[in-house]
Amino acid sequence: MKFSRRSLITLVVLGVIAASLYYFFSTRGVTYIWHWEKIPEMLFYHGSKSPEDPTPRLHMGILMIGFMLTLKISIFSIFFAIIIGTIVGIARLSDEPVTRALSISYVELIRNTPLLVQIYIIYFFVGSLLRLSAFTAGTAALSIFAGAYVGEIVRAGIQSIHRGQMEAARSLGMSYAKAMRYVILPQAFKRIIPPLAGQFISLIKDSSLVSVIALADLMFQGQQAVARTYYAFEIYFTVAFLYLVMTASLSMATQYIERRLAISD
Amino acid sequence: MIRAVKVCKTFKTTDRREVKALVNFSTHIKKGEVVVIIGPSGSGKSTFLRCLNRLEEIDSGEIIIDGVRITDKKVDINKIREDIGMVFQLFNLFPHKTVLENVTLAQMIVRKRKKKEAVDTARDLLHKVGILEKENVYPSQLSGGQQQRVAIARALAMHPKIMMFDEATSALDPEMIGEVLDVMKKLAREGMTMVVVTHEMGFAREVSDRVIFMDAGQIVEEGTAEHFFTNPAHERTKVFLSQIL
Repeated sequence: MKFSRRSLITLVVLGVIAASLYYFFSTRGVTYIWHWEKIPEMLFYHGSKSPEDPTPRLHMGILMIGFMLTLKISIFSIFFAIIIGTIVGIARLSDEPVTRALSISYVELIRNTPLLVQIYIIYFFVGSLLRLSAFTAGTAALSIFAGAYVGEIVRAGIQSIHRGQMEAARSLGMSYAKAMRYVILPQAFKRIIPPLAGQFISLIKDSSLVSVIALADLMFQGQQAVARTYYAFEIYFTVAFLYLVMTASLSMATQYIERRLAISD
Repeated sequence: MIRAVKVCKTFKTTDRREVKALVNFSTHIKKGEVVVIIGPSGSGKSTFLRCLNRLEEIDSGEIIIDGVRITDKKVDINKIREDIGMVFQLFNLFPHKTVLENVTLAQMIVRKRKKKEAVDTARDLLHKVGILEKENVYPSQLSGGQQQRVAIARALAMHPKIMMFDEATSALDPEMIGEVLDVMKKLAREGMTMVVVTHEMGFAREVSDRVIFMDAGQIVEEGTAEHFFTNPAHERTKVFLSQIL
């Protein structure tokens, strides 16, 4: 199996890096006392959360809470990025010059400014005008950002489908919209799965930037934990690993979908 | 059934030259007639077909199909296209759909037929073109001839009044041309109105009512297939026929 070999290699490489860092510190006379034993409780702990609820239960630790928020914001953003990207991609190929121009302006504006700046603008400016929560603002910023890239990918996907497909669909009496929905887009999406996967992996990683608007995502919670305990190495390695879990799962899922869709090739 | 009056169509090439594809092209095709259009490449035969269902917009003139002036901007072209089946040189089957789905898709989303009715119609037609046993495979697993027969079934499933064939056998290996022509001949004998762009003079001789020879966007000569075999009048016709026969 291709994907498991790939993730195995990734893990091995990470292990080698960790081992060499350890070696580096232990041989340079830098004494660093590792506190890996503190990490599990940052993921899950058994105990009572508050005096009001004294029965001990299994709770998510600080990093796991952050992981869940990053997962949630990533899923929402991927969903909206696909919708925005599909609309933008189709608009980019419209016969209407105004629609086309709007689409191009959106893509260029978003692609050519830093995501961090966009997050600040959406949270502090748009967000305070429309009273958006940090989560909504963060999701909006990420969706708008990724949507611009997805739009270009979708456009390329549509353009890669042979002209004869649209002609055949139209000659059967399908409207442009129906031909797009039933004939062109399904083929285009199949073809653009690899670049889309890359884009969404970027999105998951870029979501760490929403920690700047005090969203308690994985990055934010990691920083909090470091501030509290000073176990910077252990915590950031764990944070990196948790991001890797999300991105590698997405990678595997898309490869699975690709194989499933390959039956008509 | 089909009346074209003084149709003109000009294409702009990428290097901004103008190519006249149709020049004051007029013809009349009666219901049930089988018309074969021949001519050298670039003579405007395919363009004429594509103007009939407005895959190309004409510059001037008018085209009237079944009493409707289809070249009017107000006409709902999708409604017109439902009644005009088209078969392409490169088949253009939907590669992500099975053979059966290829034939049922437009029936369901355009003709609004129920799934069962669409499937029944599709199976009838796949049986007619002799490919029912392949209903669950994808087009990529079929030979060219099989794909083209599915494409014919797909067009017929809309129950069109007119069938157009745009060089339907030109992309096929020689041994597969016959199976596609057989289906077309069967259709012609059943009384379908057909406009066929082809170089297959055998087909023309067997089932066509009229052959039109086009060159440079105009009709050079028209008549029965027999006329073209025995005494073509124009020099250009003779030269062309000597090349394809």
